[in-house]
Amino acid sequence: MEDIVAELEHLKKSFGTKDVLKDINVTLKKGENLVVLGKSGSGKSVLIKCLVGLIDPDDGKAVLFGKNISELQNHELNLLRKRVGFLFQSAALYDSMTVRENLEFPLRDLKDQDKTDTEALIREALKNVGLEEAIDKMPSELSGGMIKRVGLARTLILKPEIILYDEPTTGLDPITSKEISNLILEVQRKYSTASIIITHDVACARITANRIIIIKDGIFIAEGTFGELSSSEDEWIRSFFI
Amino acid sequence: MESYPAEYLFTKSLKGFFEEVGQLSRFAARFFREVVKPPYEFKALMNQSYIIGYKSLPLIAITGLIMGMVLTIQSRPTMAQFGAESWLPGMVSISIIREIGPVIAALIFAGKVGSGIGAELASMKVTEQIDAMEVSGLNPFKFLVVTRVAATTLMLPVLVIASDAISLFGCFLAVNLKGDISFHLFFTQVFSSVTFNDVFPALIKTFFFGFSVGIIGCYKGYNSVKGTEGVGAAANSAVVIGSLAVFIIDMIAVQLTSLFN
Repeated sequence: MEDIVAELEHLKKSFGTKDVLKDINVTLKKGENLVVLGKSGSGKSVLIKCLVGLIDPDDGKAVLFGKNISELQNHELNLLRKRVGFLFQSAALYDSMTVRENLEFPLRDLKDQDKTDTEALIREALKNVGLEEAIDKMPSELSGGMIKRVGLARTLILKPEIILYDEPTTGLDPITSKEISNLILEVQRKYSTASIIITHDVACARITANRIIIIKDGIFIAEGTFGELSSSEDEWIRSFFI
Repeated sequence: MESYPAEYLFTKSLKGFFEEVGQLSRFAARFFREVVKPPYEFKALMNQSYIIGYKSLPLIAITGLIMGMVLTIQSRPTMAQFGAESWLPGMVSISIIREIGPVIAALIFAGKVGSGIGAELASMKVTEQIDAMEVSGLNPFKFLVVTRVAATTLMLPVLVIASDAISLFGCFLAVNLKGDISFHLFFTQVFSSVTFNDVFPALIKTFFFGFSVGIIGCYKGYNSVKGTEGVGAAANSAVVIGSLAVFIIDMIAVQLTSLFN
């Protein structure tokens, strides 16, 4: 039990008349990479947004580090969120800030950080993603792959115990996608983070996943390793891996 | 196309209006709660004051200069009919300081700053930048909304003072187009006509103008619906509702001022 760092229990969410998530149950164990595969619009992103409280579920609960997030006060939730990194599909870099300022931003509440420490943390995070030279660039000067890397660096700067990746390889060419997938794996190995990777990119899933869950019409229909699911008897599941 | 009875549509619009007013009031109440709570974002406030105040100055200044000149040129024939051209500096200065200066500057401000804030925050919302701040365990409302609303509230009065001064200079130039009055005499006439009761209420209402432009811009941007269409709609409604709010506040301020006078 103590190995579980995040959990969704009987999670339900609808938007208008559309039931996006119907009774979702999932656990994330310490140090594992859990990939959630599914078609576009199947509710994958909603699932991780419910986990960090960006979207309130209609029913069920989201538990982070043993705490039900719907029962937390704002400041308690914010403290918990500092232990979780979130890489958005678009990376969501603050476009009015340089790369340095983007990475500085999550550190602004840390009172015991002096300026040298902050600089060292920023450089280390950028070094981890191989983009030290981009420190003073604006997001508009970066390519799609570089934006994702900087987004990952910003996610890593608080040394989170859990990282949630929302479509980390979407919109990237196969080579850059592979680089990002390898980076996710490297982060897991280096920092022993637990991650949920939302994707429909099977190549990314093959590289990063310890366990895969497949979501269809708001419910989980299959769970297993890449090998198990790619040789599934279910034709629909198998079609994902072709 | 499905048609609805007029009564239903009217009730629906009325409900929507009150819902919007309620949500805006809650948003404003949150601003007052957050503005007094530490940590204070002084650096971001200074940055926003620079963007909102200093960068709006040229536009406000040009508008003020033209406004002062036009008002003087338009008023001169009427004043001349009564042989009261010498009252021109006093009359125009009271008009500018009491009413036209603050209102025109606030409308320009709503157009430039209100739309900018609405579009910027809406675009940040669409591109998940606000969500990114939230999941970092930070308070985006404090960083984005509180600093902008505080900056608009503090900067508009400063801009109005600058605009009034430039308008009066415009008035001086226009008076000299068909007449001859020294700079010293012109401003002696201005200051002998203008009293504390003209300046103070006009200045106080500009804080409310600035606040309303800022809070409406932020509310529209922060709560915009997704998509690029939402960005345009947020900018548009920030200007329309902000300008309307300026007129409503002005009407209330005029009533209150006459009550106290």
